[in-house]
Amino acid sequence: MIGIKSYGAYLPRYLLSRKLIADAWGFPVIPGNKTVANHDEDSITMAVEAGIDCLWGFDKSTIDGLYFATTTQPYLEKNSSSLIATVLDLKKDIISMDFTDSINAGAAAMARAFDTIKSNDDIKNIIVIASDKREPEPSTMSEFAMSDGAAAFLIGEGTVEDILVSIENYFSVSDNVTGPWKRTDSDSFVRNFEPKHEAKYGYVNNITAAIKGVMDKNNLKPEDMGIVVYYYNNPGLLGRVSKMLKFSQAQIQDSLFFTLGDTGTPFCFMLLITALKRVKPEQKILFAGYGDGAIAFYMKIVNDKGIRNIKKTRMGMIKSEKSMIELKNYSIFIDNRKYLIKDRYIRKSSPVTIWRDSASIYPMHGMKCNSCNVVQYPIWPICSICGSRDLTEIPLKLKGKIFTYTLDHLVGGGYYSKPTPRCVLDLDGGGRILCDMTECENPEEEVEIDMEVELTFRKVHEGANFMNYYWKCRPVRGRP
Amino acid sequence: MAVKGIRDKVAIIGVGATKFGELWDENQFSLLIKSTDDAMADAGVKRDDIEAIWVGIQYYFTGLSGGTVADALKLWGKPITRIENYCASGMDAFRNACNAVASGVNDVVLACGVEKLLDEGSKGLPGFREFGFPVLPMPSAPAMFSFAATRSFKEYGWTKEDLARVAVKNHDNGSYHPKAHFRKPVSLETVMKAPMIADPLGRFDCCAMSDGSAALILTRPELAPSYAHGDDYVIVKANALSVYTNLPWYWPNFDFTSFPSTTTAAKLAYKEAGITNPRKEIDCAEVHDCFTITELLNCQDLQLCERGQAAEELKNGTFNWDGETAVNPSGGLKSFGHPIGATGCRMLYEVTKQVQGRADGRQTPDAKIGLAHNLGGAYTVCSVTILSQNK
Repeated sequence: MIGIKSYGAYLPRYLLSRKLIADAWGFPVIPGNKTVANHDEDSITMAVEAGIDCLWGFDKSTIDGLYFATTTQPYLEKNSSSLIATVLDLKKDIISMDFTDSINAGAAAMARAFDTIKSNDDIKNIIVIASDKREPEPSTMSEFAMSDGAAAFLIGEGTVEDILVSIENYFSVSDNVTGPWKRTDSDSFVRNFEPKHEAKYGYVNNITAAIKGVMDKNNLKPEDMGIVVYYYNNPGLLGRVSKMLKFSQAQIQDSLFFTLGDTGTPFCFMLLITALKRVKPEQKILFAGYGDGAIAFYMKIVNDKGIRNIKKTRMGMIKSEKSMIELKNYSIFIDNRKYLIKDRYIRKSSPVTIWRDSASIYPMHGMKCNSCNVVQYPIWPICSICGSRDLTEIPLKLKGKIFTYTLDHLVGGGYYSKPTPRCVLDLDGGGRILCDMTECENPEEEVEIDMEVELTFRKVHEGANFMNYYWKCRPVRGRP
Repeated sequence: MAVKGIRDKVAIIGVGATKFGELWDENQFSLLIKSTDDAMADAGVKRDDIEAIWVGIQYYFTGLSGGTVADALKLWGKPITRIENYCASGMDAFRNACNAVASGVNDVVLACGVEKLLDEGSKGLPGFREFGFPVLPMPSAPAMFSFAATRSFKEYGWTKEDLARVAVKNHDNGSYHPKAHFRKPVSLETVMKAPMIADPLGRFDCCAMSDGSAALILTRPELAPSYAHGDDYVIVKANALSVYTNLPWYWPNFDFTSFPSTTTAAKLAYKEAGITNPRKEIDCAEVHDCFTITELLNCQDLQLCERGQAAEELKNGTFNWDGETAVNPSGGLKSFGHPIGATGCRMLYEVTKQVQGRADGRQTPDAKIGLAHNLGGAYTVCSVTILSQNK
């Protein structure tokens, strides 16, 4: 049996209310909020968060592959999945691949994971992560809709013991309708020529064709389905499609669009994760993604007890949403997005040193001295306490407490991160590190010695014209 | 560690310094000319008498190599070495010069330091420390000393007001020094209300960006009487350099309420000088007050008071210019200024003047033995020197 063994989700800390967007541009108000990534986040950092959430409690040596889906990869040439796999501390002998260029990339990657596992005896588990930091043009209708986030599924071969939801099969259609697009060299923002045309001939046609296709393939009738989840970017279209396919309101996963916006590639994953909060034994599921065609999956709940259990150790959608807050004004969003022209200090960097120190930088490895037992960071050939050279590399815990700190007013962060807290941390289980704090709205009141924090993987600068990532800490959002 | 040391092997026969401050119309070369002219005139030596030179410079933009001094003075063919050891570069240049004299290699040498910071602008020290770790966080100087302040508030119960008293004392002292960058007293209220730089350190807890240069002429004690001051030269009783980590925030047991480089250098220097009760025996001390918190911790690490007591002792006047141990009678880095590579030599300039009784207008009463303490980096490098009058 092949299916979903685990899931994870990441929603950025901040929500932008659509009222603020409307007020900024003098538009009529549309209800709800959308998620917005912070200045130090991109599709890779959010994918890492979703990946950490998804793999919590799993033996990482059992993961044989990582598929990353996004339309907003930081590099046109340079793979993102290999970096994410390194940060997640996966082994080297895995398949890693990026799926890009369409918001259907998430569903496409899931289908490829299913096929890969099905056709290879030695590949048992693939983590599929979808993540997007979308770039709608300010002062357009897209700005109300497009939002940021990440979600992940662990797809694997197993039994009713470890599979939560089985994937039976899928049906795919490919169609060249130009909906949203963004040219490689000339566009800063996602373009959309005529949304009404795309809605009818692109979205509705393709999503219904894919869902009908997979239902016919499996002799399913609308009333057989327990849960129906499909991508949409317009609440009106959600209803139109369900009516055409004769699904009832109770079968359709309700609206994340109003509360979070359309996160693009991970959106259909988020809808499915949300749907898993109310499952019944042996329910049948339809799950579909859209973009330049559509892919629909037929799935079944095989372990409803397991689904309820895993929820306790996942940030998922529920805990992530609980720890979000609304931005106070639109200008912080615009500044954070770097739409304002500012001189920004950029450090020097070197891909060579980052490669050499990769274990300390990406999967946050330290070392334990086998002579004095003190856990230290970063990795070094000699113990700083006793001078021993008998050291073992170990992964450090991604949470800890502040030993000392300063609130640095000289260096500006984004959003409310002024002043920037710079913290010396004692990590749980050992290891002392230095890192900046992100997403602390009131540092003067909140930051203190012994404050508990979680590490979060972020973009720190773009020295040497490439993306330099490292860990920061944040106030606890509840990651286990 | 059995070090033979340099006690009584080196004499200071002349000192010189430029005015410190925002010296827009000077460059590093003109500053070196002024400080070395001043020192040579003080000693009564001619430039041809100088056999070798060590210069403390931290930043590459001030100058690389001994060539910076050769070019400045148009002094060709001599052995000249640039010393870089963070903010302790100046006193390390002095240490190297001392070693040359003490070993008998040279008779007359010059130790000097210079930094031209303002040419890079006044917005704080330029970033220079990538250390081969391009993505690991690198705190600014105020941030790294704030770590110590935050921890000291917790461990010792100190407050922002305790820090502010350091600034008030040093600005008051500096107002009497003709060469100091800032020559105006400040009130406790002004210091407390200043904008934050790296919380809890505000603008007046931080020394400013300054330009300047200082220089010293050294020789063997037996040759010293033949120079300008005759028998009134100054003897080097001890010099110790201690180096710890560039990255103290990764040390699992680093407490941030004491700097091991200072405690080690102090112990070594006191042992060499034969000082058993520093508080009683040291009459005046120039200590590295790059930030107000640093001076408080220095006083403890240098054993001028008990651990945890520096704020109280300061409040009680122990470290005033006429107190039990005068700390920073020059005004310190806070008020005198801190052109990085020059500071160690500037401290020695001041202590020399004090123990010679030539610190006009700011003379510590009856100063016979003085100490200079130069700290650099992330409390990485510390140099302690003890000077005594030759009487």
